[in-house]
Amino acid sequence: MRKLIGRSQRKYSAIAVIVFGISSFGFTGLDKHPDSKDSKVKVIKDEVKPMPVYGHWRNFTTKDGLPSDKAYCVRIDGDRVLAGTHDGLAVYENGKWKTYTTKDGLPHNGIVSIDVSELTGDVWIGTLGGLSRWSGGKFENFSQLNSGMPNDLVYCVICDGKDVWVATGGGAGHYDTYTKEWEIFTEKNAPMHEPWTYGVSAGDGKIYIAAWGGGVIEYTTKTKKFKDYTDPDGEMEIDLLPDDGPVHDITTGTTWGDGYLWVSSYFGLCSYDGAHWKGYFDHDSGLASNFINFVRAKGPVVFICSDKGLSTTNGKSWVTYKKNDNNSDGMAIVKNYGRIDDSTPNKTTKEIPMSPSISHNFIIGVDEDKDVLWVATSSGISRGELLK
Amino acid sequence: MKTSYKLLLTFGIIVALGLIIHFPGYKLARAHVNSKTAVEDHPLLCTSCHLYTSKNKLLSKLVNTDYFSPFNMAVSKDGSNLYVVAQESNELLVVDSKNRKVTNKIKVGEYPHTVILDNAGKMAYVSNQWSDNISVIDLAASKVIDTLKTGNGPAGLSLSSDGKYIYVVNSFSSGISVIDLSTKEEKKRFDAGNNPTGTQLSPDGKSLLVTSRRALIAPYGDTLKSELTVIDENTQRVRERLNVKSAYMMENVAFTPAGDLALLTMIRPKNLVPSIQVEQGWMMNYGIVIVEQKEKGRIIQLLVDEPNAYYSDPFDIVITPDGKKAFMSNSGVNFISVINIDSVRAIISGASPELLSEYSNNLGVSSRFVMKRIKTGADPKGLVLSPDGKLLYVAEQLEDRIAVINTETLETINTIDLGGTHRITVARQGRRLFNNSGHTFQNQFDCYTCHPDNHEDGLVYNMASKDMGRNLTNTQSLREIRDTPPFKWNGKNQTVYKQDGMRFSTVLTRSEAFNYDDLDAITAYILTGIKYPPNLQYNANGILTPGELRGKAIFERTKDNLGNIIPENNRCITCHTPPFFTNLKLASVGTLALTDDSMKFDTPHLNNIFQSPPYLHDGRAATLEEIWTKYGKEEKHGVANDMTKNQLNDLVDYLKSLRAPRYDGKDSKKQKTSLKSN
Repeated sequence: MRKLIGRSQRKYSAIAVIVFGISSFGFTGLDKHPDSKDSKVKVIKDEVKPMPVYGHWRNFTTKDGLPSDKAYCVRIDGDRVLAGTHDGLAVYENGKWKTYTTKDGLPHNGIVSIDVSELTGDVWIGTLGGLSRWSGGKFENFSQLNSGMPNDLVYCVICDGKDVWVATGGGAGHYDTYTKEWEIFTEKNAPMHEPWTYGVSAGDGKIYIAAWGGGVIEYTTKTKKFKDYTDPDGEMEIDLLPDDGPVHDITTGTTWGDGYLWVSSYFGLCSYDGAHWKGYFDHDSGLASNFINFVRAKGPVVFICSDKGLSTTNGKSWVTYKKNDNNSDGMAIVKNYGRIDDSTPNKTTKEIPMSPSISHNFIIGVDEDKDVLWVATSSGISRGELLK
Repeated sequence: MKTSYKLLLTFGIIVALGLIIHFPGYKLARAHVNSKTAVEDHPLLCTSCHLYTSKNKLLSKLVNTDYFSPFNMAVSKDGSNLYVVAQESNELLVVDSKNRKVTNKIKVGEYPHTVILDNAGKMAYVSNQWSDNISVIDLAASKVIDTLKTGNGPAGLSLSSDGKYIYVVNSFSSGISVIDLSTKEEKKRFDAGNNPTGTQLSPDGKSLLVTSRRALIAPYGDTLKSELTVIDENTQRVRERLNVKSAYMMENVAFTPAGDLALLTMIRPKNLVPSIQVEQGWMMNYGIVIVEQKEKGRIIQLLVDEPNAYYSDPFDIVITPDGKKAFMSNSGVNFISVINIDSVRAIISGASPELLSEYSNNLGVSSRFVMKRIKTGADPKGLVLSPDGKLLYVAEQLEDRIAVINTETLETINTIDLGGTHRITVARQGRRLFNNSGHTFQNQFDCYTCHPDNHEDGLVYNMASKDMGRNLTNTQSLREIRDTPPFKWNGKNQTVYKQDGMRFSTVLTRSEAFNYDDLDAITAYILTGIKYPPNLQYNANGILTPGELRGKAIFERTKDNLGNIIPENNRCITCHTPPFFTNLKLASVGTLALTDDSMKFDTPHLNNIFQSPPYLHDGRAATLEEIWTKYGKEEKHGVANDMTKNQLNDLVDYLKSLRAPRYDGKDSKKQKTSLKSN
């Protein structure tokens, strides 16, 4: 009997060792995290390009032709820039701003999100009172009453091929521009805590929905399957266990770039490489503030719009733009590390004076193209150029 | 008893029996015919209904026959061959233009619409409107060599200037597909107005124009607007969406050779004024839209009508290579209007906006630019000029013939018989009447004008009532209505006979009523000759999607979301009963307007309902959703206020999937064949 038990114990011990070994390999050998020295991820490598720094800021307000200083979003569309403001859509072209409002056919003057279809060139505009397609000079409006759109509070709109996705106050959904049908997702048919959604992004055949109280909802367009990512800490305002998932269940935006999903919340920023999450906070990284309104990734760089300035990072280093409280100047704060606990030798912080700086520290929208950065703030729109 | 007495008695009994049977029988027959026709003097001819409109397949085959119905055409570069789209026989006919003979018939898809040739003249592309694809034809081999998948209802076609792409106007789904001819894949798709069909690339290859037939949906009372979509050929993006005001049914477009003007056919409907204005010439006008091809170019409208004579249903327009003349087919009156373009230039040159606005309603202006009217056979549709511009070919759709007109003398010099039957059936005669304005006051309009494609025109008319109420009326489709009486929104007409009889002429056409032969014919056509297109967009194979199935369950539900029993008369399925989704009864659904006469509404049929916006009797609902989100608050038109947005979307998806019952039977094979060929 003892012999028998001994054999059994040995057998179970051997199994346990194998399982442990496999598990350990799973935690180490397959680790794709940016800070892992043996990371196999193609994007964020040790030889990552230095973070771009933008300067030569030029700020635009109502004095320059904007309909309102309260800017909610900005999108670069070739030679023109589209900005959503509290009082209409502002278009910057040939050095001049032109405004479009409900009088021109928009469903609402509060423009909070803009995207441009790469396929057709049509501009899709999310407003506080419906969705609008601006095409050939004409606005065509979609509302919760005249279409299958989930709700008129359109916080975010993106184009993904022939589909137009929206995140609204009553759920997320997509409009198939070929069949002209809506498919919508709420807590009734998707793993959402409630229908309120703030952000949506696309990448790698997936849609990422920032759902209020529901973390991130991943939707694979091919299989039409959902997967949700929530914070194991629930709605605790501190991240009890670092890097265990999204930093909070209340998420404000998602964006995908170069193999990484970035998720913003009012409690910090996090990234996900398909295997591991990593959190970034104002106390342990170069992040300007944990209160993040919006994020947009452009390749390996993510732009983070917070209530205390604009931060940019590639996960390895940071540049944060801040305006002085008492004048129009400010600075770019450059940090050569991703997080205080990473293995970067000689962590440094450098401040580059900017005169003028961005027009306000409350940032709600950002876009970058061809070395030009446009920033929507609560007091004007700023344009910066890449400093060579 | 003597034999003679016996015979006399027998004869007497037979006569007596005959009299007994005859008089009540006659009376019954008279009563039957009277009830069907709403008149008391319609001849007692059983054939009127029981032969020409018979559902019996054998009888139907005996009394009807097949036609080609030529629609659109193309001509070879050397002018030797004409390529004719035969809409009813689903063929492309190859015609030797010199010998005036059909030399080949190439089978294409369902209900072909347009044919174009490639730059080398070796390939033809035919859009198959009811198959959602394009047949690619090798002209040397006279063979379909490929099929390209398109959007819903492909109609107008155009090749890109480099010949690498084909632009396809999707008439049912209102879009433009850009198909890469090297990969045979759809590269992208744009939205384009409402029910677009015509398209033409500018001579400089920079702009592609796409015309809309239906006006953009707008509340009754707003100025009508139809979209002319302008695609930048270089960027393959929509450059402009121009609003053409007060016009619709812009079927086709042609550029002047210099490219400075684009001319479109159009109708100017007067649907916002009471229909009693027919006598004053205020029902429909017909003419051209002139679009100046320059920055901030003007959009000008000129009528081709004359005082007391209208030239209804303009369809196609072509311009001679020298840019001097334009030819327009006026399908409703069987004429070609010849337009002097220099005169048009003179009229619009320097004219003030006010003057041009006045011209757009002026029946006298046409005398200044219409050079001649050339009589044609029944229902002239597509036009094509010979490469040298000396000959104009006219597709006489209901004649099965091509007319050949000398563009110098402006005389018809020949006709090309397509070789079909010369027998005109009753239903064919009915179709001719349906498409001809000869029965309306001063030829102002015909059935087809408000029921293009035998469907409806998407407009709401002010059908003034006898009590001078407004009675706004949303035009209803005529597709497969034989089993859905009564007719009209108020359900007053139990039969098509009654609908199209005396009252019709009194209320609408303001002319002599149809004689009974004509009434028999038009009824025969409406009841037997009009079919639904397949619903390839939302229900191609009869298999409902999960969302549509959920919507079907809502449509058929007996309890609301809280478990409360929905009263039987407030369930969708009660009034909208399959297969036509009408119980043929009147109902009050809480939509009666203050200006309407007091009435209930005939429950409308719902098949292919996605093609019939706006909705409700007065068109107040721009979309299916609005029926409940905006106009269903009282819950008299079904119980809907308990539904979630997802449920409403499912219900709408199900409604969009409804299709003609015949596609679930034998004809479904045709639909499936179309799909397979994709």
